[in-house]
Order: sequence, then C-alpha cells, then structure tokens
Amino acid sequence: MKFKFRAPLATAIAMSVGLVVLSGYFIPAAEPLRFILLRVGMVLAAVALLVGVINLLSVHIRKMADKDSNSWNSFILVVALLATLGIGFYDMFKAYMYGNPNFEWTNWIFTYIQRPIETSLMAVMAVSLVYAATYLLRRKMNYLAIGFFFIVLLVLLGSISLSMMNFPILKDIRSWIVHIPAVGGARGLLLGIALGTITTGLRIIMGTDRPYEG
Amino acid sequence: MTITGLIGLSIVASFFGLMIIFNVVRGGSTKADLRPISAYTKLKRAIGLAVEDGSQIHVSLGRGGVTSPQSASAFVGLSMLEQVIRIASAGDRPPVATAGNAALSILAQDTIHGTSEKIELKSKKTSSGELRGLTPFSYAVGTMPTIRDDRVSANILAGWYGNEVIWLTAAGKRQNSFTMAGTAHLPAQAVMYSTVEEPLIGEELFAGGAYLGAGPMHISSLKVQDVFRWILVGGILIGILLKFAGFGQLIENILVGTP
Repeated sequence: MKFKFRAPLATAIAMSVGLVVLSGYFIPAAEPLRFILLRVGMVLAAVALLVGVINLLSVHIRKMADKDSNSWNSFILVVALLATLGIGFYDMFKAYMYGNPNFEWTNWIFTYIQRPIETSLMAVMAVSLVYAATYLLRRKMNYLAIGFFFIVLLVLLGSISLSMMNFPILKDIRSWIVHIPAVGGARGLLLGIALGTITTGLRIIMGTDRPYEG
Repeated sequence: MTITGLIGLSIVASFFGLMIIFNVVRGGSTKADLRPISAYTKLKRAIGLAVEDGSQIHVSLGRGGVTSPQSASAFVGLSMLEQVIRIASAGDRPPVATAGNAALSILAQDTIHGTSEKIELKSKKTSSGELRGLTPFSYAVGTMPTIRDDRVSANILAGWYGNEVIWLTAAGKRQNSFTMAGTAHLPAQAVMYSTVEEPLIGEELFAGGAYLGAGPMHISSLKVQDVFRWILVGGILIGILLKFAGFGQLIENILVGTP
C-alpha cells in the first residue's frame, strides 16, 4: 500500500502555523512566535518568487515554439527577463567586489524603462475607466446603472478645481455623497468581506480547504 | 490582554465553534437551500457548455500575496479552481489558471495536481497554473492573451485586483466570452460592476465554494456568516442607541481597546 506522507504533513504544518499566528494577534505571550513565523513566511515568499520567475521563464520558452502571433511577445519577455537578470547580477557583483552598492544599471532600467511603461499604462487605464463608465449605460439601461452613472458624474463635477466651473453646491453634493452614502455602503460591503475572510481563513486552519496538498 | 483582544478572540472562537456545530447538525450534507446568485448559475451553465463544445475555462487568481489579508479572495479563487477542474474533468481541454503572485502560482499548481490526482485525471489532460506577471500591470497584460484565446469560452476572475482589472474584463467582453468576476477590493468591485455581465458584489465571492459544491464546510461557513451578519446589525443598532443615550465615549474606549 502506498502511503502519501506529504499531504498530511503539509496539512499539519499549515494548521499549527495558522493557529499560532492567529493566537499571536490576541494573546501577547504568543506574539514573539507569531513574528518569527511571519518572518519565515516572508523568506519563503521570496524563495517562491524565484520559483515563480523560473515558471514564468519556462512557460514563455515553451510558448516561443508555438507558431502563433504571441510567440514574439514571449521571445521579447524572455530576452528582457534574462537581460535584466544579467544586469542585476553584474550590479551585485560590482557591489560586493568593488564596494560600489549604487546598483546603477538596475536603477537605470527602472527609471528609464519600467517607470515610463507603467506610467503610460496608467494613462491608458484612465481612458479605459472612462470608457467603462459610459459603456455601463449601453449595457445595462436600468435604474441602478443610471444612478451609478450620474453619481459618478456628480462626484467628478464636484471635484473640478477650475474657478469658472467651481459651483459650491456641486462641492457640497460631492462631499455628502463621498462622506455619507459612499462610506456607509463601503462599510457594509467591507463587513461582509470581513466575515467571508474570517471563514475562509478558519477553513484553512481547520484543514478543510487545502490548496497546498499537491 | 486588552478588551479588544478578548472580543477578537471570542469572535474567532465563536466562528470556529459555530462552523463545527452547523457542520455536525447538518450531518455533513452538501445540499442547502441557498438564494440564487445568477453569476454562479450562469457559471455552471458556462462550464457545461465548455465541456460540450470542447473549449477551455480560464481561472484568474489575481495578484494577492498569501501572507497578507489580500490572500482570502485568492484562496476562494483556489477553491473555485478545484471545483472547476472537477466539473470540467469530462471535457477535452482542462482549465487554465493564471496568477500574478509567485506563491499563489505555486498554490495553483498544487491545487491542480492535488485535484487531478484525487479525480484520477489522465496526465495529458492536466491543467496548467501559470505566473503571468509580478506587477499589477504586467499581470493584466500577461493574462489578456489567454482571455483573447479563441479556445477559452469562460473566464472566472476570483482574487485580488486593482483598477487594472478593467483590461481583463474588457478583453472578455471583446471576445464575447462569459466572464464572472469578484474581488475583495472595493474600487475594483466598482470597475467590475460597470464592465462585467456577472459581477460578484461584496461577500458573494466568498460564497463561491458553497455554490459550486466545494463541501459541507463551505455551506456551514455561509450559515455562520449569516448569524454574525444579524449580530452585527443588532450591534450597530444598539451602538446607535447607546450613543444617543450618552455612552459614546464608553463605546469608543471599547473599540480602541482601553481596558
């Protein structure tokens, strides 16, 4: 008979660590142990990052072999990833060998490649969000959708800082919407989410949900 | 221990106890009289259609870390992934899972392997769990080709997202495929509400396991949430009355944990 040792062990570790971390929030004596376990968790998450990057690389190397339009994207990703990794290692080597820890090339990549790309994507996202707001009316023409759309419009109008379009009543309406119904609604939703979060966490501590047993 | 700590501990203990009690009382039954949520009804239909026409289901787990409060919605996504693999196991194409966090992608792969072993799925049909990007934008951009893939007929977005989720939902819409989306992040929920046919609002995401038949404990969890929802409603009303009666300072002291 083949006995699988891995799954029960993983469940036991997850349950006991979960219980200790949870009790650390309420019982002061368990707090130091909670911090130690969380620190270990952080280190393991960093190792997982490395494993994830290897997964990302292997998936895209496999995709490069596919004869579809996305294979070029995968090629660019693999080249960019390896180049950034190489430059990172070179900077690390320089830092340890010559005592020059300014990570000059890595910073250059972040400042002149990563940041502009992310900034432009953010601009595209702003346009997409405006499109989504207008699209809502085309898709769901009901009272809720109309209300949602006009409340968005009112809040935006109340946020305008140009003096010629600065109507105090719009600012008051915006302030009322933001501070009364929006906050109340958000709190209601968050309470529901908090209840769901607690039960999800407890199911993992109880061992009924085991996303780690493969 | 502070009063807040004591209250917190008693709440968690009550949740724990009630979940076990409800599970025992129900005798581990997976049948329950749940209110219909159209997103889950349509999702089951979409999975059925995918099995029939041999198309693929995409489960996006978002980019929440597993060591932060964002993880809860990702864990729900993993429960859904397990159920989708089970339900779609008769189909030609196994579901594909994408994640924007390294640890989450490892858990997705574990879930896929564990579920495939449990239902004795042939290795050639095993699903894939892939990391698609490590930043919010790179994850969104990296996941779009999967949604735009003609072989994918349904998308389940269950995890932690920011406003960048708009690109995923818009890609699903452009592809004319079924998209169900839920997250615990409120701004992203607003985006989902305006762009997805079937958004999951508030705690509806956390009910996913119960609606997809993930086990009796998921149904017991829903019942406990209902109990606590009523307790919260009562507590809020009592708090308002006490504040009107001049006990506002006492309530504030309790909330900030002053013994």
